[in-house]
Amino acid sequence: MNRKYFDKFIYFLMVLLIIFGLFLQFATVKSTDKLKTEEIEQAEHYASKIAKFIQVRTENNIDKILKDNPQLREHLNEVLQAFLTKQYQYIFVLQKDEKGNYRFVLDGSEKDPEEYKALFFPKSKLFDTVYMTQKMQIIEQNEGVEQIWLSLVYPIVNENKTEALLVLDLSESYGEHLSNFNSPLITVVWMMQAFLVLSLFLLVFLAYKYYKIHKDLIIDKLTSVYKKQYLEEFFNDKRVDNYHVMLIDIDEFKEINTKFGYEEGDIVLIQFTEILVATLPSEAIVVRIGGTEFLVISPKEAGSIDEQAQKVFEVLREKKYLIGNEVQHLTVSMSAMSVPEETMFIQHIERLLDEKLLEVKSRGKNGLGILGTKQLNEIRYTNIDYIKEALEEERLLCLYQPIYETKTKQIVKYEALVRLIDNEDPKKLITPYYFMDVIKGTSQYIKMSKLVFQDIFTTLRTYEDVEISVNLDLDDLDNADMMKLITHNLYENRGIANRVTFEILEAHEIKDYGKVMFYLQQLKAFGSKVALDDFGSGYASYSYLIRLEIDILKIDGSIISELKHSPERAKAVLRSIQELAAIFQYELVAECVSDEDIYEMLKELDIQYAQGYYLGKPRNIEAYLGKKE
Amino acid sequence: MYHGIFSALSSKVTIFVYTNDKEYRDVFSYSKRIFLTNELEEADIALITDKRSLKSILYRLKVNTNVSKKPILFVTDYHFLKESDDIVGAFYWRKGRSQLLFIKKRLKQYDITLPKEYQGFLIDAL
Repeated sequence: MNRKYFDKFIYFLMVLLIIFGLFLQFATVKSTDKLKTEEIEQAEHYASKIAKFIQVRTENNIDKILKDNPQLREHLNEVLQAFLTKQYQYIFVLQKDEKGNYRFVLDGSEKDPEEYKALFFPKSKLFDTVYMTQKMQIIEQNEGVEQIWLSLVYPIVNENKTEALLVLDLSESYGEHLSNFNSPLITVVWMMQAFLVLSLFLLVFLAYKYYKIHKDLIIDKLTSVYKKQYLEEFFNDKRVDNYHVMLIDIDEFKEINTKFGYEEGDIVLIQFTEILVATLPSEAIVVRIGGTEFLVISPKEAGSIDEQAQKVFEVLREKKYLIGNEVQHLTVSMSAMSVPEETMFIQHIERLLDEKLLEVKSRGKNGLGILGTKQLNEIRYTNIDYIKEALEEERLLCLYQPIYETKTKQIVKYEALVRLIDNEDPKKLITPYYFMDVIKGTSQYIKMSKLVFQDIFTTLRTYEDVEISVNLDLDDLDNADMMKLITHNLYENRGIANRVTFEILEAHEIKDYGKVMFYLQQLKAFGSKVALDDFGSGYASYSYLIRLEIDILKIDGSIISELKHSPERAKAVLRSIQELAAIFQYELVAECVSDEDIYEMLKELDIQYAQGYYLGKPRNIEAYLGKKE
Repeated sequence: MYHGIFSALSSKVTIFVYTNDKEYRDVFSYSKRIFLTNELEEADIALITDKRSLKSILYRLKVNTNVSKKPILFVTDYHFLKESDDIVGAFYWRKGRSQLLFIKKRLKQYDITLPKEYQGFLIDAL
């Protein structure tokens, strides 16, 4: 599970357990409170009835009637007594005398009832409040009060004058009984709460364990900086293009280990990472990606890549280490770059930095190399999403490089060369160097080929005298989708397919000549020609001439360039190729004709066709046809 | 409780209390100021907890007028207060509530002025 979601899940579980525990507590307390509230409501109901009864029997004149009528007092005491159950400890009626002291007027106690007008100190000022406000009060147990849980003090009012207070004392034992009424439930709740607490502890323990294991996985034990595994996690919720990245390698650290031992070497490494971390902005992270290799991820807002990298480089270079009795310096090789926008993966950056670091090391180590725009473009142009978007938007065009007849210096054919158009600057064209390897073997490659054929055949239809050659990878012949696309295009344009030449490129040796020959026959069936590209280099060997039926040989640029440096030897090779071509009746095309000298030599050698920057760069075909570009 | 009440009733450093009640005798056993005495004549305060003792003490005080000093009488029953005007106050329980009272006039005859915290327990008459 993703770390971020795991954290949230753990916190959610903890909160859920706590909420559940609190809810259980609340529910049981609420349930007990409800019982008590019901009991109080019942007591209030009784009080109201009793008060009314007393008022009726005393004709709303308690003081006078009861004073003169002991029999009635006795009768009413008996009535109060009838209400005495296990709930009610005492029921009595009090009256205030002229001095403000409370005196009994009625008492429902069966045993030793209070005598009429005996003094009583209620131990609560709320009795006075009831007398004044004429509103019933529930009085909780006070200091100096025993056996009573709650006292319900009910005012007996006549014509807005409080005549007496009816007091119902709810017994303490009954209060306890109510509290204990839910005791089995409370026990279950308690057990559940104990279980929840244990679960919570277990959860905390497991979370702690998880974090510890996780920490071990992502933190390097020796240097306490991050391990490579942390990189993916770090960029889970962060954009790669918000950071600068630096790759640092300590030069010749092996010598430290050899000279002073691994233990001292480890101490130096610890000191090295400490100084590195201290030099960086607090938001930066250091990742140990190899024994002495560190990757630094630092936020862009902390300064430019040049400033940050230069500072780190200088500090690390100047740091002195006391190893044994010797003071040593360490040098570092460093590469750094500011991650370009829209970069999705840190791996691309790592690869580039690695290459740059190798370059720095090859220049004698102890140096800093900061990657510039070209490399940054490389990242952008090698991004599959970028290429995909370009193809979807059909930001593609074909440039045409002319192939000349050497003798007449007339254009006879054009080689179509594909380019993507930059999304920010339409004048900027992206060569296949950046994107071809990325899309080869994917559906995007077919998509690109489709657009290329579309361009070529449109050109052929537009300009009737033009012939075009197009590159075809040997692997394309073995790709069913690609062959389907080619044959479909040739069939659809069968009237002009004879003006197309397929230049076969190959990145590996042909293993099944029969198969390749079969595919080439399919192309030739439409009248198209087949050229063998880069002849004389790599896999394009003489054996092809024996086994493949081709029409044109394109002599590799490396042989043609040699006319400049070793003209005699190069001419000898070209003559031999020319002889072979004459025997097999191949047409010959010399590539990479970069200046007039080479052109003249080719003319002298009677090589039929030539192509190169001297004769014409890849441009829009209209530029060569004298049309407006 | 009684320690406070008796200290309020007597300003003496050492207060001698007479009581027949064994349970109440234990109450004062740890007091540094209140001491028990077996002789009514020596007592500063007489704590009366039962009717028999009440009658006996009242009789002795009535008959033996030669008693050099008259102890302050304090009871543990509301009804005892009615038996003699010499009884200055009572501490007892009514309806689960502790009740403490002092009768103004009776305190006066002993020339007792109660401290502030006991003023609230003063009544004029029963």
